[in-house]
Amino acid sequence: MPDIKVKHVVSCSSEDSTHKAENLLKADTYRKWKSSKAGEKQVSVILQFEKEEQVHSIDVGNECSAFVEVLVGHSTSVSEQDYEVILVTSSFMSPTESKNSSNSNRVRMFGPEKLVKGTAEKKWDRVKIVCTQPYNKNLSYGLSFIRFHSPPDPGEAQPAASSASTPRVTKLGQFVVKEEESNSSGMKPGSLFFNRSAKSPLFSPKASQNNDQPAPSYAAATLRASSAGEPGLLTGTPEKPSAKTPSPKESTLVKKKFEFSKESQVTSSAKKSVSKEQAKASPRPKESPTEQPASKKMKATPPSVPSSTAGRDPAVSPATITAEKVPAKKKQKKPAEAVELQQILQGTVFVLSGFQNPFRAQLRDKALEMGAKYQPDWTSDCTHLICAFLNTPKYSQVKAMGGTVVKKEWILDCHKRKQRLSHKRYLMYGPQSSSEEEGNDEEDAPSQKQNENTLCSSHGTEEDDLISEKPPRTPDLVSDEEMPGTSRSQHEEDFSGSTDEDVPEQHESKEEDSGGDTEDELRRIVDINQKKQTSLSKTTADDPYGGSTDENTDVEEEDEDLPIPELPDFFLGKHFLLYGDFPPAERRMLSRYIIAFNGELEEYMNEKVNYVVTMQDWDDTFEEALVENANLSFVKPRWIYTCNERQKLIPHQPFVVVPQT
Amino acid sequence: MSKRKAPQESLNEGITDFLIELANYERNVNRAIHKYNAYRKAASVISKYPCKIKNGAEAKKLDGVGSKIAEKIDEFLTTGKLRKLEKIRQDDTSSSINLLTRVSGIGPAAARKLVEEGIRSLEDLKKNEQKLNHHQKIGLKYFEDFEKRIPRKEMLQMQEIILKEVGKQDPDYIATICGSFRRGAESSGDIDILLTHPAFTSESAKQPKLLHQVVERLEKTGFVTDTLSKGDTKFMGVCLLHGESGESYPFRRIDIRLIPKDQYYCGVLYFTGSDIFNKNMRAHALEMGFTLNEYTIRPLGVTGVAGEPLPVQSEEDVFEYIQWKYREPKDRSE
Repeated sequence: MPDIKVKHVVSCSSEDSTHKAENLLKADTYRKWKSSKAGEKQVSVILQFEKEEQVHSIDVGNECSAFVEVLVGHSTSVSEQDYEVILVTSSFMSPTESKNSSNSNRVRMFGPEKLVKGTAEKKWDRVKIVCTQPYNKNLSYGLSFIRFHSPPDPGEAQPAASSASTPRVTKLGQFVVKEEESNSSGMKPGSLFFNRSAKSPLFSPKASQNNDQPAPSYAAATLRASSAGEPGLLTGTPEKPSAKTPSPKESTLVKKKFEFSKESQVTSSAKKSVSKEQAKASPRPKESPTEQPASKKMKATPPSVPSSTAGRDPAVSPATITAEKVPAKKKQKKPAEAVELQQILQGTVFVLSGFQNPFRAQLRDKALEMGAKYQPDWTSDCTHLICAFLNTPKYSQVKAMGGTVVKKEWILDCHKRKQRLSHKRYLMYGPQSSSEEEGNDEEDAPSQKQNENTLCSSHGTEEDDLISEKPPRTPDLVSDEEMPGTSRSQHEEDFSGSTDEDVPEQHESKEEDSGGDTEDELRRIVDINQKKQTSLSKTTADDPYGGSTDENTDVEEEDEDLPIPELPDFFLGKHFLLYGDFPPAERRMLSRYIIAFNGELEEYMNEKVNYVVTMQDWDDTFEEALVENANLSFVKPRWIYTCNERQKLIPHQPFVVVPQT
Repeated sequence: MSKRKAPQESLNEGITDFLIELANYERNVNRAIHKYNAYRKAASVISKYPCKIKNGAEAKKLDGVGSKIAEKIDEFLTTGKLRKLEKIRQDDTSSSINLLTRVSGIGPAAARKLVEEGIRSLEDLKKNEQKLNHHQKIGLKYFEDFEKRIPRKEMLQMQEIILKEVGKQDPDYIATICGSFRRGAESSGDIDILLTHPAFTSESAKQPKLLHQVVERLEKTGFVTDTLSKGDTKFMGVCLLHGESGESYPFRRIDIRLIPKDQYYCGVLYFTGSDIFNKNMRAHALEMGFTLNEYTIRPLGVTGVAGEPLPVQSEEDVFEYIQWKYREPKDRSE
């Protein structure tokens, strides 16, 4: 949702010397506005918008106020009384909370339905916020933040518009400003595409050698490096791109590194938290012990092999070779993909929920680059909600409306792989429903593995993702994963195909040892790889897998949207009405099932309705309905669920609601 | 709330009685609700006055007694009667209206209409029953019973029955007998029950079933005998206490209101009264920047726009919002 820019503070009735009203212009919530003295009867502040805007929603972060009221007005108006209430006095702390100074930083978000209608429809350029705290005379109070959003603007979804809108965000706080700067320089014409296109293949040195766009991409890389350098870059990056003229191969190396460092800024923080949670939910204790020694080994391996390509060649196992074929094959498609970047997510209209800037902006920009459209709020034409975690307000809203809710990884992975991935395995649902949603148990395994990978070490995320995204997995592979160490070997195998890509990540994961040059790293990894490969001697299992890699990827590329699993249509021609109260989740589930099995869902009672699904007991209205339509059956929701469980139409008679005697 | 307020028992009974008679006259005959309120307020403040009033000037010092009422008090104290009241009593129309309004279901407007049609007594009413609606017919049928006040002992017995049946229906129900009974009055005009259920809030859909199943249950036990009206949220009816040893009790008026949980305590506060206490409390709330009604308490903004309803979990919460010391129901009879 576009933020309304606040230009300055017009006046305030009182402000603390440190907690000034100006702080409201800044995003950081620790910068508050407070009254100068405790026990003031009422404090108010008037803010000036940059231009006249319609206020669509307001987010308020409280600071010890009991009540907050928001009024709007015009800078031209003279009298105080010209202000109109847009948000009626709203309670933020109860008297008891006020007396105990507890819950003093409540945040409330007021959507359009909470605002005074007539006032919210007009444009205003000033707001007046009035806070009161009558219950505690020892508190100085105010606000910790306030944000205003203008109505969703369809034009905003255009990439150009979004980059133009980014400076808005910078207004909110210094922290955001820096990030946005690095980000916006990343948006320099051309640079993005070169970066993307160079990043898109599967990163074998060979692939990058064949890459015939070294010069511009190098420029782009330096561009990015210079801006991204200060805030986010790892200390001790081995190469200073500006210092020497790199060979074509090196240039891609460097470029990728920066790409990656940015990527990891983006993903690591967010991903880590997510993956941690997921790991908690499905702990795999055996994984960590194997992981620990492995990474230690990596560190310890001396950089002895002279050249990465030379060093690897003798050691490459059949599996590695096939793995390397993948990037080679993919590479041929690459130029076309780069051009089509804009089309990857064409037709997707997405909404974000639960993400904070700067990541929010980055995620949005990624999706916009791929041709998706952004909407601040869920509307009927939206296709996806990208959700940070379960149970955000938007999540519940969209889920109730039957929208598709996916994890951010969908965008990130699509962007990384330059292709539209099916959102199916990125669906965001509670653990219990995930199996229902995916319907394919095999798919669970890879995604789990992916989580572990991101948790244990941040290297090789891209490759791991790729693996996990392969839908039809050979059964023996799945079983292999259950054995400790096997999945490890897969890592290593991936590594061999994309060594240089992993290097910067390795740096980060260790947060030291960055002095050594990249070649050393490559050698080390190849080394470990070799050891692993031989010690585990999993070649038989790896081979078919390696061979299947490219096939599957190809399949998936062609088939942009995975087909929905074949659904039985045993409700065909049957009309349903959901009657009475249902918990929202249950109502949604029922409608989903009915629609999924080709039933017709009626909103109102009419003569077409065959089945009335209800949780209620027999009611007089049921009789009335029966008089109107004698063919009606009143059934309990259980029937629908049982039909789903059995995947066929079962008699509804055992589930009917009957009059009580 | 009952139409008939409990008679005030005080040193100045004579004064308060004539004031209340005047009040009812203003309400029933002249439909002047503000005059009615003025007289009632004066009567209320005088009834609390600790010593016998000797003259109008003394009464005038009290809040709510102005020069006109003071004159009437002087006249009453010196002559023992009030000309205005004598005149009213002699006026056929007004006394008829006053009489008819005592029938449950007949208000000042209906009474005036009936009087204009020549109906002046209960006998006339009985002859013209077709002119009455269902409620009024029952009001007429039980006229004598409804006139009787309910002793507190009986109220307690009825309270026990109601709470027991409600609890049997669903222990989640919350029921409170409001009105003067809750304020500890020795007698009550009717029985007024506020009912709520956690499943019913102002956000949720109407749930008449929550009310109707309680009413049906009370009907089954024979406690509720007649229905005057039954809506989605309010039941008005007649109930009867069955004595254990066959003793007979009069029929009583019973109201049951189903109130959303979030508005319940504002409702309890309102229906506990007294109405004058409510008025004072609302006035104080306004002073503190709140608007209070039987549903919600809301803060007022700088321009006087009422804010969102504040969450209320108990009567105490309402007092707390307006920073008033909590007053037990028994202390709300002012």
